[in-house]
Amino acid sequence: MATIATSPTGVIPERAGAVRVTAVQMGIVAGVLAVMAGAFFEVRPPEAYGVCMACHARDLLNWTINMLARTHLTVAPASLVFPVLTPIGVLAGAVLGATTSSEFRWRSPESSLKTFVYGVLVMNFALLAGGCSIRLLLRAAAGEALGMVGFGGMVAGVILGTFWLRWRATR
Amino acid sequence: MTAAVATLVVGIILGYLGQRSRMCFVGGIRDFILVRDTYLLRGLIAFGFTAWLAFPLAGLVSGARPGPLGVSDAVTVVLTILGGFGVGYFSTLANGCPLRQHVLAAQGVRSSIAYLGGFFAGAVIFHSWIAPLLFRLLP
Repeated sequence: MATIATSPTGVIPERAGAVRVTAVQMGIVAGVLAVMAGAFFEVRPPEAYGVCMACHARDLLNWTINMLARTHLTVAPASLVFPVLTPIGVLAGAVLGATTSSEFRWRSPESSLKTFVYGVLVMNFALLAGGCSIRLLLRAAAGEALGMVGFGGMVAGVILGTFWLRWRATR
Repeated sequence: MTAAVATLVVGIILGYLGQRSRMCFVGGIRDFILVRDTYLLRGLIAFGFTAWLAFPLAGLVSGARPGPLGVSDAVTVVLTILGGFGVGYFSTLANGCPLRQHVLAAQGVRSSIAYLGGFFAGAVIFHSWIAPLLFRLLP
């Protein structure tokens, strides 16, 4: 791969030769993979379940707890026999991407207690809606009315959250 | 077992691409409002558009018709809107969607690792207390 001398604005300097991927390329690949996982690789039911960070994390955790403690926590039908492993895959893939481009380094930009609470809240609301931001869009794309409604709610939430961030920053 | 292997492979690909592209599924709307930057927003639209095209195509190839859509009552609709709103709002405050937080955690951001701790704890909290409580309160 040719080394490009000029970098797009706002991109942090990276090691020469590191693979560049744009958000559009990532979006297209993610869309194809999410649909294929559901259609050809048994990541169903429910419909449009190919990629979901919240539901898949829930399935993986609850399946493990059910195995260890003989409980009967909820898992999606797709994860009854063996759980979906998306969270582990994403973490492994991101570690691979970060180490091959020398972007891995320890840092703590925010209070960990605050982000812990955000994590609890996002997971609870996501399970209430039946999907994280990715799956809400996936369900909307599959033509499910509830998915469209949920995605609309998510867009409203992001807009309000952004205005809140801006208000807090300019106060 | 197929689903487990497939999601592991899909996860590795998405984790790698997500790390390389800094993709975030709430950051696009946020960046557009704040600084009129469309880089992440184009990724979000590309994902939705690709999936919208791929669903009917995959249906043709595999021959499977989409399952019957369940009848949704008013309570489910309200809960879905509320849930979606909460996901969007708190993901924006947390500075990234769940996928982005997984990627940041893998890049060594300690607050995102704490976020993942809360994320997993949240699943147990939801199914142990919140969901039973909702079942009792709602008609």
